[in-house]
Amino acid sequence: MSDAAALVVEDVVAGYGGAPVLDGVSILIKPATITAVLGANGAGKTTLLRTITGLVRPRQGRIMIDGTNLTRRPPEAVARAGVAHVPEGQGVITELTVEENLRLGALLRTGRTGRASRTAALAESYQRFPVLAERRQQAAGTLSGGERQILVIARALMAKPRVLLLDEPSLGLAPRIVAQVMELVRQLRDDSGLTVLLVEQNARSALSIADRGVVLNLGKVVAESAAAELLTDVGLRRHYLGF
Amino acid sequence: MQEFLEFALGGLAVGMIYAAIGLSLVLIWRGTRILNYSQGGMAMFTTYVALIVINHTGNYWEGFGAALAAGLLLGAVLERVVIRPIENKPPLNAVIVTIGLLIFLEGLAGIIYGGQFRSFPPAFSIVGLSVGHTALGISRTDLFTAAAVLTAALLLAALFRFTAVGLRLRATAFAPNVARLLGVRIGRVLTLGWALAGLIGALAGVLVTPSTFLYPNSMDSIFVLGFTAAVIGGLESPVGAIVGGLVLGVVLNLAGGYLGSDLVPMFGLAALMLVLMVRPSGLFSTTAVRQV
Repeated sequence: MSDAAALVVEDVVAGYGGAPVLDGVSILIKPATITAVLGANGAGKTTLLRTITGLVRPRQGRIMIDGTNLTRRPPEAVARAGVAHVPEGQGVITELTVEENLRLGALLRTGRTGRASRTAALAESYQRFPVLAERRQQAAGTLSGGERQILVIARALMAKPRVLLLDEPSLGLAPRIVAQVMELVRQLRDDSGLTVLLVEQNARSALSIADRGVVLNLGKVVAESAAAELLTDVGLRRHYLGF
Repeated sequence: MQEFLEFALGGLAVGMIYAAIGLSLVLIWRGTRILNYSQGGMAMFTTYVALIVINHTGNYWEGFGAALAAGLLLGAVLERVVIRPIENKPPLNAVIVTIGLLIFLEGLAGIIYGGQFRSFPPAFSIVGLSVGHTALGISRTDLFTAAAVLTAALLLAALFRFTAVGLRLRATAFAPNVARLLGVRIGRVLTLGWALAGLIGALAGVLVTPSTFLYPNSMDSIFVLGFTAAVIGGLESPVGAIVGGLVLGVVLNLAGGYLGSDLVPMFGLAALMLVLMVRPSGLFSTTAVRQV
């Protein structure tokens, strides 16, 4: 169990028509780790996440989660296999209330104990994120940027996923809030053994909590090693990460 | 005054039908961003089903139930078979396909049942009711119509607001890709949305056909007025469709009563034009105008 890969991306080629955005990407993610996916705009980071969860169909390659082949399955199926994806732009459903957004996330908990499990999950969310409890009946569109980011992460956690994909969670957030969000992600790995794939342009804050880092450039993996090493490789940092 | 009361109440009664068609259009629009031009045709078809059952069993309510069941089934089948392939294509495809579907349904009805006007029984008596010496201009059947449509609307509202299914329907309508990432099988949800719209349309069909007689094109003008009701309400709002339907019904009945009933279709189109010119996003809408 401890050495089995939580997520395997194997030679994936994917794009939106025309030249592929991902041009043969292979990544192996171990369970209960945080992996930062870094690189400039257009490097393919978001496309990578979207391909893993099935919003984009790969032209070649395989995607395996916990040993199950999920290549070319639709997003609904990948979500049901225990992968939660918080997309770029957060994906808050603004017309629904905070509580409805959370309840939506919990709908995957079904079965005979489903309702009790969903109620418990909701209570747990409110306990962990009091700011959501305060705003539970408000329309989600009235939340601030930082609150929305907490909401979508909480919503993703409602289904007890094994793998969490986060796409640019720091976008548009004040540095103090970014630090809070990163701290939350670190706690999730430590407390729940969650496997996290974190796409970030803010490479510094991502690497501060990550175990490993993968750098993409023009659709290919150009570097992959422990986060600490990436932080000390000044040449690499300057060239691909901008600091 | 008596006349006014009769026209107004009668307008509310017929307005309920426009509201029902408007409601089914809003359901499909919100769920799939498609304007279902065949909504009237579907309602006509399920009313034929009701007539066959009624003639066979002699029981109105069995026919009524058969129409509703047929509406559910027809909506589901059409979404799965005809609409699913075009859901993510440009809007013009949906316009062409649903108009084509309308022509198909009307043609099929003509082939199976023939084009002659058939009478369709009302649910209850159509004798006008009176309070004391004041004739109200509405009948028991009209009261049943209003009650049926309002009940359907309330049940629908409750479904959307309080159930997990309703939450999925709303999430799929507002943010389908986010819903998919949360594991919602949006295919099934969309099929359900169309099934519910088929159900409401079927209800409108059996309620209005006693007045219009049943023939392949019997729901055409009702569809236009139902569409107008939905546009008045803003196409996004179920409440808006109902209010729009009632307002339209009363206004048209008053105009038709005082100025001549041949002018009603013209007034209906005039109302539609007026809304589109003055407030195209509808009375209840908070979002921007869209091209339809």
